[in-house]
Amino acid sequence: MSCKLEDRRPDWKSYALGELDARARQEAESHVAACADCQDELAGLRVTLDAMATLREEELPRRIAFVSDKVFEPRWYEKLAQAFLRPSFAAAGLIAAAILIHAFVRPVGAPNTTTAQVDTRAIEARVTADVTARLQNQMAASVDTAVNAAVTKAVAETEKRDDHRTALLLSASERRYSDAADFLNKQVTRIYALNTGAGVR
Amino acid sequence: MIFREVEDRDLIAQARQGDVEAYNLLVSRWEKRIFNYLLRLVSNREDALDISQETFLKAYQNLRKLDDPARFSAWLFRIAHNEAFSLLRRRKPESELSEPRPRDFGGRLLPIELSLAVESAFKVLSEDQREAVLLKVYQGFKFNEMAEILEIPVSTVKSRLYTALDLLKATLAPAVFRKDGGMAQ
Repeated sequence: MSCKLEDRRPDWKSYALGELDARARQEAESHVAACADCQDELAGLRVTLDAMATLREEELPRRIAFVSDKVFEPRWYEKLAQAFLRPSFAAAGLIAAAILIHAFVRPVGAPNTTTAQVDTRAIEARVTADVTARLQNQMAASVDTAVNAAVTKAVAETEKRDDHRTALLLSASERRYSDAADFLNKQVTRIYALNTGAGVR
Repeated sequence: MIFREVEDRDLIAQARQGDVEAYNLLVSRWEKRIFNYLLRLVSNREDALDISQETFLKAYQNLRKLDDPARFSAWLFRIAHNEAFSLLRRRKPESELSEPRPRDFGGRLLPIELSLAVESAFKVLSEDQREAVLLKVYQGFKFNEMAEILEIPVSTVKSRLYTALDLLKATLAPAVFRKDGGMAQ
């Protein structure tokens, strides 16, 4: 029996793939209810699509990570800008600028009295102490940063090694699974052939 | 559809402003789908993983060029498609030497064997046909989205897909249809 609509029969592939609009879908469903030929075609498509649905989705052997990727590190000019904007650096810069201004702006013709000399030394001593303290703090912070960076790097390397080891184990397991599936398939094929007398493949 | 606390378009907006964590979340949402699409296309896990990595890297670098964040998935698959076919073209001489043949899966099959039969049946398809099946059947894209990803007319999309379905149906017939006219469960 063939479909009476012939060339105008519904597009069953689009129907099975969910691409028909509501009206075309309804027309197709009305037609198929009374057409054995179209029922066969649709059933064949559905069975094929159902078989395709048995294909399992695979897990990634390892995650795709980007945070540690070099491409996402700031560029050299961004690093430079960040360094200049750091508070401790800015503070040290201001102090250095203050010393320079103090040295150059001092009145040239001013009487060089003992009191004035004592005040200048005291200010310079305070400024020097302040700068030294800030530099020490900055150095301590730099050491902390370096230590943290080293620890982060070591952790990342350890994780990378672990990921690699896991991937190897996973790969080995998959090979074993594949071998087992092949073996099972051969056995089933052989049993089926023996039962049906079709000969051993 | 799965409820998402933060939509992709929000993550895209954050990632465009340099928020790497937002992009990482996008990656975690899409990496499995991209990996599986590529795995079936290039038939090699390591290659599929490498191309997945490359796809997400290129997507990040070109995120500002994405005009409509609502089309992120089609745009991402377009990048993956380009990367995969770049590899397949480089490999062409090698793959032409080894002509893949489907395994004989006569008789009724267990689910695991059916899955293997489908994998084997994919080998009768050309790369273009296989990709059409992957995008439609396994990734659920509409014909017009597939046309956008593959940069071909919708009529070509349908032609590739329909031919692929006919070939798959014929190849899988011995495995899914019983000799008595019924269908295997």
